[in-house]
Amino acid sequence: MTVAVEGLSGWPPPVLDPAGPYAGSVTALTWVLIGMAVAVLLIVLAALYIALFGKGELRRRLGGEKVIWILGIAFPTVVLTGLLVWGLTLTRHLSAPAAEGTALKMRVSGEMWWWRVDYLDEAGSTLMADANELHIPVGRTVEIELVSPDVVHSFWVPQLSGKLDMVPGRRNLIRIQADRPGTYAGQCAEYCGGPHALMGFMVIAHEPAEWARWLARRRAPPAAPTDAQAQRGGQLFLAAGCGACHRIAGTPANGLAGPDLTYVGARRTLGAGILPNHRGTMMGWIGDSQAIKPGNRMPPYRVLSAEQLEAIAVYLEGRR
Amino acid sequence: MSSAPIAAGGKGSPGARSETGFDPELYRRFPTKEERPEGELAELERVWQAPRGWRLLTAVNNNYIGTFYVGAAFLFFLLAGILALVMRVQLALPLQGVLPQETYNQFFTMHGTVMMFLFAVPAVEALGVLLLPQMLAARDLPFPRLSAYAFWAYLVGGLCFFASLFFGLAPNGGWFMYPPLTSTAFSPGINADFWLLGIGFIEISAIAGAIEIIVGVLKTRAPGMTLARMPIFAWAMLVFAGMIIIAFPAVIFGTLALELERALNWPFFDPTRGGDPLLWQHLFWFFGHPEVYIIFLPAAGLVSMMVSSLAKTPLVGYRLIVLALVATGFISFGVWAHHMFAVGMPRLSIGFFSAASMAVSVPAGIQVFSWIATLSTGKPSHNVPTLFVVGGLVIFVMGGLTGVMVAMVPFDWQAHDSYFIVAHLHYVLIGGMVFPLFATFYFWAPMMSRRPLSERLGKWVFWLMFAGMHLTFLPMHLTGLMGMPRRVWTYLPERDWEITNLLSTAGAFVLGAGILLFLVDIARNFRFTTGDTAGNVYGGGTLEWLPNGLYAARSIPVVTSRDPLWDQPGISEDVEEGRYFLPGTATGHRETLITSPLNAEPQFLQIMPGPSVWPLFSAIFTAGFFLLLTVQAYTIGVVSGVLAILCVLRWLWETDRVVEPARVDIGAGIQVPTYVTGGSTHGWWAMVVLLIVILMIFLMALFSYLYLYGIHGRVWVSPPATFWLAPVLAGYGGATGLALLARRLLARETSTLWSPATNLIFAAGTLALGWAVDLHSWRASGLSPESSGQGATVYGLVAHQGMVVFVALLYAVYIAARNSRGLVSRPRNTSFDLATMFIAYCGVQGSVGALVVRLFPGVV
Amino acid sequence: MRAWLLLLGGMLVWAVHFFLLYALASLWGSAAPARIGTGLVTAACLAANAGILLLCVRTAKTHDAETVIGWPARLGAPVAALSLVSVAWQGLPALLV
Repeated sequence: MTVAVEGLSGWPPPVLDPAGPYAGSVTALTWVLIGMAVAVLLIVLAALYIALFGKGELRRRLGGEKVIWILGIAFPTVVLTGLLVWGLTLTRHLSAPAAEGTALKMRVSGEMWWWRVDYLDEAGSTLMADANELHIPVGRTVEIELVSPDVVHSFWVPQLSGKLDMVPGRRNLIRIQADRPGTYAGQCAEYCGGPHALMGFMVIAHEPAEWARWLARRRAPPAAPTDAQAQRGGQLFLAAGCGACHRIAGTPANGLAGPDLTYVGARRTLGAGILPNHRGTMMGWIGDSQAIKPGNRMPPYRVLSAEQLEAIAVYLEGRR
Repeated sequence: MSSAPIAAGGKGSPGARSETGFDPELYRRFPTKEERPEGELAELERVWQAPRGWRLLTAVNNNYIGTFYVGAAFLFFLLAGILALVMRVQLALPLQGVLPQETYNQFFTMHGTVMMFLFAVPAVEALGVLLLPQMLAARDLPFPRLSAYAFWAYLVGGLCFFASLFFGLAPNGGWFMYPPLTSTAFSPGINADFWLLGIGFIEISAIAGAIEIIVGVLKTRAPGMTLARMPIFAWAMLVFAGMIIIAFPAVIFGTLALELERALNWPFFDPTRGGDPLLWQHLFWFFGHPEVYIIFLPAAGLVSMMVSSLAKTPLVGYRLIVLALVATGFISFGVWAHHMFAVGMPRLSIGFFSAASMAVSVPAGIQVFSWIATLSTGKPSHNVPTLFVVGGLVIFVMGGLTGVMVAMVPFDWQAHDSYFIVAHLHYVLIGGMVFPLFATFYFWAPMMSRRPLSERLGKWVFWLMFAGMHLTFLPMHLTGLMGMPRRVWTYLPERDWEITNLLSTAGAFVLGAGILLFLVDIARNFRFTTGDTAGNVYGGGTLEWLPNGLYAARSIPVVTSRDPLWDQPGISEDVEEGRYFLPGTATGHRETLITSPLNAEPQFLQIMPGPSVWPLFSAIFTAGFFLLLTVQAYTIGVVSGVLAILCVLRWLWETDRVVEPARVDIGAGIQVPTYVTGGSTHGWWAMVVLLIVILMIFLMALFSYLYLYGIHGRVWVSPPATFWLAPVLAGYGGATGLALLARRLLARETSTLWSPATNLIFAAGTLALGWAVDLHSWRASGLSPESSGQGATVYGLVAHQGMVVFVALLYAVYIAARNSRGLVSRPRNTSFDLATMFIAYCGVQGSVGALVVRLFPGVV
Repeated sequence: MRAWLLLLGGMLVWAVHFFLLYALASLWGSAAPARIGTGLVTAACLAANAGILLLCVRTAKTHDAETVIGWPARLGAPVAALSLVSVAWQGLPALLV
């Protein structure tokens, strides 16, 4: 792959480069913990050095039961009590619900091996369906219901928060918030079989006004294609049976097994966060997604000619 | 000379110095002065002689079984290590094609499973089998044939399990096997069944080993070796075995439930039918986290012993180390849910699981500083075992510190299931177990090899392993913080994960080179022998360094110190000259001295079995049973199972025989009986331990029942009408009563045909009747096992009861057969006692189970 | 038996405490009854631990280490002390989380 997917970088380490309050307080904790670990390691190494190579008084004083009581019992008890109090307080802080009515509500369903995304209204019904991308407004808490219809998955966007599992039969709530606009990579963190490695997604944070405009536009499907190739692509899309699994609002395609493709052309990535989204990758994905992401639920369409694939890709490219 | 032990200070009275009434003054008679009779040593050697040629396979002596066991465990270490190397090549760069996705998923599942179940647990258990008898100066472990059986079942089963990889049938659901991914809906092949099979073997051998070790440590110590004088390794193994009998039942029940769900569609873990996937996680980690300490504690025990020997000074803080071992044994059962911080538990639970996870690090700190204090007190020698001990300590401390980090819930939410955890767990396990194991190899090899291993090669081995280990796993911390999740078969180039991954791969090969060099060292220098060993190269002070044969020490010394070889001058020579207990064979059989659990006062002479083909055959047919069921060859599978049972019965047939004379002189005129019954026997202790295991499995089933009720209680149906309880309880209760009655009758009975044994069959029959009514009442109520989580757990309990009822029936018939052959001694008999105990327990368990599932939640 | 109870008493209290907390949180999650219950169980277990600690120290004073219960009492004291710390820590979430 030559074209980098925007926002997929790993440096600086996202856990240490938080973009919002739910990750930020953990980053502070992480640095303190790293400091603690290094300090204690140095103490142990120094003691070990004295024990092995030291001479005289210092070594003698290290050699009694007293040192176990001081360094092995009292010292850890004090340090751990402090850490525990901080950890518990922070846990409460992080799991406190956002103030009533302020949070944006969404539902993300981890499915083998992609993400179904629903934007919810206050009552909890779906405003708009999408897949593999979450668009959120900067500075506002987003409360996400995490569910799974198949196996256990885990939702993790390290720059925005820690992870939380999606457990079949249960509904978990996670809160994320981005304080600056940007694209944040996420990935499934619980082994879910087959191509678990290739189950990524993105969170895109917009300025609030821009986000509101975006949402307003998304409430209606994009315009029907006008140029001939795209129109032919649309017909092929239906003829090839894609609509059995995929939904494109405003067309007869209303399948729900796979990702919603109403705005597929606007997505950053294909195949759940693994390919940059352009005509070539779209053709390759439709033609033989199994070669790209083995075991995924979409069958290869090798029967389609290159010209047909291109038409479908052009059509889907226009879904934006 | 007086014959009976003389009471001293009154048994149990305040300030008593004797536990059993044995007078410790009698120990003053040793070492004895008189000449030993001619031919005594030759007779001892003849009795303990090992079989030769192919018959070596029938050997049951711990020197052989222990060595085979260590070798097999190490073989699995190498195999799982090779898998790791291939995986590291695949991950060296993004989007590599060395391993296809499916194969990679099988590889990482097998790597984890084999390392944990087929290497780590068996390896420490093997060291227990190999070292414990010598350290305690026992002739052998109390149940040599059980060790042999456990070993062969493990070897045959483990190899078949590993071979599944070559047929693409290896499990691919991760070593933790979370459903629903591992349920038939998402894993339709038999791969997952192979996992359940592989674990089945290790469950059997771990439980067998635990029974062996508990009874061995508590009942076969050298006289005078009080709890306060026990070698630390014995303490560690005692805690280890105790943890196994509490922890393994959780995974035993879990694997049974998962197999029932897969094979018979009982929805334990299916949320759409009143099951819950998290139930598996609770069961698995209730076993899985203690498992880590099950691996670590024995290794820590060995380190404690080596540190003291290598520094040539008694261990500093012996009592605190014992405290640490005992506390870890308990507190590690309160940390399982830290593997589940991200599943969405109530935050109050998360809080105290976090607290317990921190508390468990205190005992680890105690041990680390005790080792450092010991090194400071003595004169540490700079040799290979010291290098491995110190290197392991550094690595372990680093893993422990990241452990404290992930015990902090908010940090864990980030680190969980990322490469940070991969780094953490490898630091803990390699530092806490693998390096101590290599130290152990170097330290104890001279005990059974003609030559010690090479100091020169060993240093290379150490530095390669130490450097390779850090190069592999240190960068992984960063890889994790950079967002790379675990268990991924590849990653995208845009993630900047290449550099740290490449370093890890390079490191893995350096580590591998070190281990390869170790194999060279073994090939060049290790020469197994039981006679002319290289001896006490490192100057250890504990009993395994006494002059040794297959029978362990020639005579069993009186122990008055923690380091007898340092503190009791002349002990080696006196032992070798037969001036202590049991200098020869008193009955002409293999035998060992059974002592009391607290103070190790001599109680009686246990007659031990010699070589036998039956444990081997039993193991092969057990393995065959499970394997054939897995590949769905049901008929021959059942045949194999029946053969396994027959072989076990055949082997048991030879045990528990009364020998002549009834009392023997075990040295210095002290006489003990050769046949006893009741609470002091090794058989009684073993049965108690086994019943605890069965009880724990029962409790796990009961927990599952209550847990699912807590989640899906609203959809539960009413239990069968209460009147059914009358016949069910009558059956179970009657069985208990009849069994106890049978035992009372035995003392009065002289005939061998009609009588107590028949009564025992009645007891088992009543038990079976109660069970049949129990089962019928549920079937009549309309609840089916497939219908809901309630059905699955209720029938799970009934099935567990059915299993013990089946064993009870078999047991009663077996006792009746022994009785008809005149093998049931009067007035009391151990086999008979144990059978009554077992049947009585089954009645109680059945009653409790029947009451709970009928009255809760129906009536209460 | 007495020896084993002295030796393991602290840890048995720990086990009772831990599994009671687990039961409470399973029944009431993080709600008030679970918190109050956690507080009460913790107080009771701290008291029990203190009692065992005291008993061990007294036994150790009257029995030398060579007696049957002397050494177990000497070991039981720090076991109970460690249990005390752990129980206190496990009670903290009721106040802090």
